[in-house]
Amino acid sequence: MTRRTPPLLNRSSSIRPALGAAVGVIALALIGTACSPVEPAGSSSGSTQAAAGQDVFGDPADPAQVKAGGTLTVALSADPDKLDPTLSRSLYSRYVFHTMCEKLYDLGPDAKIVPQLATALPTVSADGLSLTIPLRQGVKFADGTTLDSNAVRISINRGLTLAGSARKSELGPISSVETPNPQTVVIKLSKPFAPLTAALADRAGMVLSPAAVAKLGANFSSAPVCAGPFKFASRVAQNSIKVVKDPLYYDAAKVHLDAIEYRIITDSSIRSANLKSGDAQVADSLSTQDAPSLQSDGNMTVLQSQSLGYQGLTINIANSNGVGNPLKPLDTPIAKDPRVRQALALSIDREALVKSIFNNLNTVACGPISPKSEFSSEAAQVCPPHDPAKAKQLLADAGVNTPYKVTMIASNNPDSIRLAQALQAMVKEGGFDLVIKPVEYASLLDQQDRGDFELLQLGWSGRVDPDANIFNFVGTTGSQNVAGYSSPEVDKLLTDARQSLDKTERIKLYGEVVTKLQQDDPLIYIYRQRNLTGVSKKIQGIQVYPDGVIRTAFAGFTK
Amino acid sequence: MKRYLLSRLWQSVVTLILATIVVFAGVRALPGDPALALAGEDRDPESLRAIREQYGLDDSLLVQFWQFVSHAARGDLGRSIRTGEPVGSMIAGALPVTIELSILAILVASVIGVGAGVVAAVRRGRPAEWAANALALLGLSVPNFWLGLMAILYLSVALGLFPASGFVPFFSNPIDNLHHLVLPALILGTGLAAVIMRQTRSSMLDALSADYIRTAEAKGLSPRAVIGKHALRNSLIVVVTIVGLQLGALISGAVVTERIFALPGFGKLTVDAVFQRDYPVIQAVVLVTATAYIVINLLVDLLYSVIDPRIRVRGDA
Repeated sequence: MTRRTPPLLNRSSSIRPALGAAVGVIALALIGTACSPVEPAGSSSGSTQAAAGQDVFGDPADPAQVKAGGTLTVALSADPDKLDPTLSRSLYSRYVFHTMCEKLYDLGPDAKIVPQLATALPTVSADGLSLTIPLRQGVKFADGTTLDSNAVRISINRGLTLAGSARKSELGPISSVETPNPQTVVIKLSKPFAPLTAALADRAGMVLSPAAVAKLGANFSSAPVCAGPFKFASRVAQNSIKVVKDPLYYDAAKVHLDAIEYRIITDSSIRSANLKSGDAQVADSLSTQDAPSLQSDGNMTVLQSQSLGYQGLTINIANSNGVGNPLKPLDTPIAKDPRVRQALALSIDREALVKSIFNNLNTVACGPISPKSEFSSEAAQVCPPHDPAKAKQLLADAGVNTPYKVTMIASNNPDSIRLAQALQAMVKEGGFDLVIKPVEYASLLDQQDRGDFELLQLGWSGRVDPDANIFNFVGTTGSQNVAGYSSPEVDKLLTDARQSLDKTERIKLYGEVVTKLQQDDPLIYIYRQRNLTGVSKKIQGIQVYPDGVIRTAFAGFTK
Repeated sequence: MKRYLLSRLWQSVVTLILATIVVFAGVRALPGDPALALAGEDRDPESLRAIREQYGLDDSLLVQFWQFVSHAARGDLGRSIRTGEPVGSMIAGALPVTIELSILAILVASVIGVGAGVVAAVRRGRPAEWAANALALLGLSVPNFWLGLMAILYLSVALGLFPASGFVPFFSNPIDNLHHLVLPALILGTGLAAVIMRQTRSSMLDALSADYIRTAEAKGLSPRAVIGKHALRNSLIVVVTIVGLQLGALISGAVVTERIFALPGFGKLTVDAVFQRDYPVIQAVVLVTATAYIVINLLVDLLYSVIDPRIRVRGDA
């Protein structure tokens, strides 16, 4: 940071270095804004192991082929945030939670919801206002206390009321949680809310030890206690997290490892090197550059799972006052005229982009619903063809002079910049002059929320229920409607889909939403990422599901 | 002496306050805030408001500053916004790692640098000098990041000699601790080794042409004694000064090295806190660094004044 100056023979001798230290750190921070590794938009992409579009989730460990014991080291690309299911917001904390905090429901490899701490899917009342959940019996928390309906009630209420809770919006319009007996939970809603079961298959459905909650309060993350195959052991700030086998776990015979250490290694190449050297046995978020070499290594496997999210371009239509404030349309052709946005969408050759930038490993996306989702339909997967001539015609019809200059902000990580440059070259043919402004991730979020952009490239990691992938982004009152888009028709379709208990009806409604979104184009969907995880063949039973969470709890070292 | 001491102490306090204000204002001048960085893609206006309220980020800057200073004065550096851990214990855990890494890097750099410098001076104009110069040039120009990656690829992956990442505390297993730190210390010490080599070479060349060396040779001393006992010993004074001056560069180099080898050190803590806009951690890190600088400078100045009374007199003036 700063260099220590020789002692000076004047009064300012100690002022300079100390101020230098302060200025040094700020300078570092400013430099940092140009080279952030934080949650990039396109940091991980395909692999070469399976054919394009083919998922490799990994298989469960064969108990006859794995030995008991050993510590698994997982190289993680980012540091998880608070280890408190109520307050946690990062994907990476979910990797750790899955080993020590089981949920009422989980996700299967087919992206379908399955019971975990519950024994069956919820029974929903005819009016959709009551969900009855039967609980597994004989489950103990890591502190030895019993998991019952009261613990579930306390955990859900905590999610609804704790200051800074990240679960509140996921839990929806819950009016009360009732516990008719220790093995049954009844959730009462003020209005029907179909996405609730999916939310209970994530952090909102994790059950915390009431004793630990009472003891630690908002500092639960300092020594989290849940029910799971492993329990929290230690954490070294910004560096590592360790969990150890919990002998009290109800299915302890399935647990082979003694401990799992999550080691934070932000650089993708170094994660791969750690995998090859044997210092780590699992590494997440591999890059396209590293995946092929791991693939050709006989000692490695690359797991692939297509994301339920998307990467795309958001156009600022009416976000002049910042998200959450009253909408005020921008006075630019691309904000005012849907034809200009359609022209931009038609100028993008998604197939070519995926092929040239991501070696055909990611997949084309033209809407918010993944083809892997059980809510996908033909209408949801319609994709307007690449047609630069029509794009030019639309620009002419809209009375826009070409080349039409549009400025795009994008995350400054190498993958995003490569994507932006390819787009820049591509949309030229359609009559656009794309100017790229790379920005560090935290600054990008800031600009996005303030509405300080014309066009921005960013994605969404995806959730199981389509509502969580659409409503917040294009609903008029959506918490992340950074485009400032407002369509009464789309709002109605989304609200109906949200409140419908009929899956077929929801599929149809989401199909109609996609059709309407492709006419208005507030968000141009481009591609879907593939989560890539490198796994050493010394370990068996590592699995990755469409929710992007790496399952390590039931893995074991090969005999 | 008493007046001098008081005046120097007063300056130190003023400096610390100024440094605190600069960093407090500086981190808040960055775009985005901890709430945005923490919420990431899951943010919504209500959560952001709740986070800002929870950590007092919606208070006025004056209130926030007072909170920080008044708590720090009581030894409470707050809790990390991202992980909820006490910042004091985060720093206490990270500092020993960086200190040990720096000491090892200086050792590595001194052995390589002095050795190569002596060879270059004694074998002037011969291939040994060219090789030493080439090594120094490489050491100065190759970035630590690339060097670290190459070391991992060849020494860890291909040969399996050293671990590619991780850390074991010295007191839990000294051998394992050193095994984990060999590569990081080697990489961190490379740049410093180059500087030491060039300085040793030039000091040695000066020394070798000095009269006392000619006298020593005339007395019939062996070349080894002339170089080792007379020339090198005199050259090392300048080299030691240079090592002291490079300490700052070493600590900033540790930032990169710690990230490459996933070492839980002070540099990694600082950089990650900046990326995550973790205000309490950034502020505490700077406060601790500034305090360390001030205390060291104060001690050195006082020591100088003890050695040389003229400084004390000037300070009193």
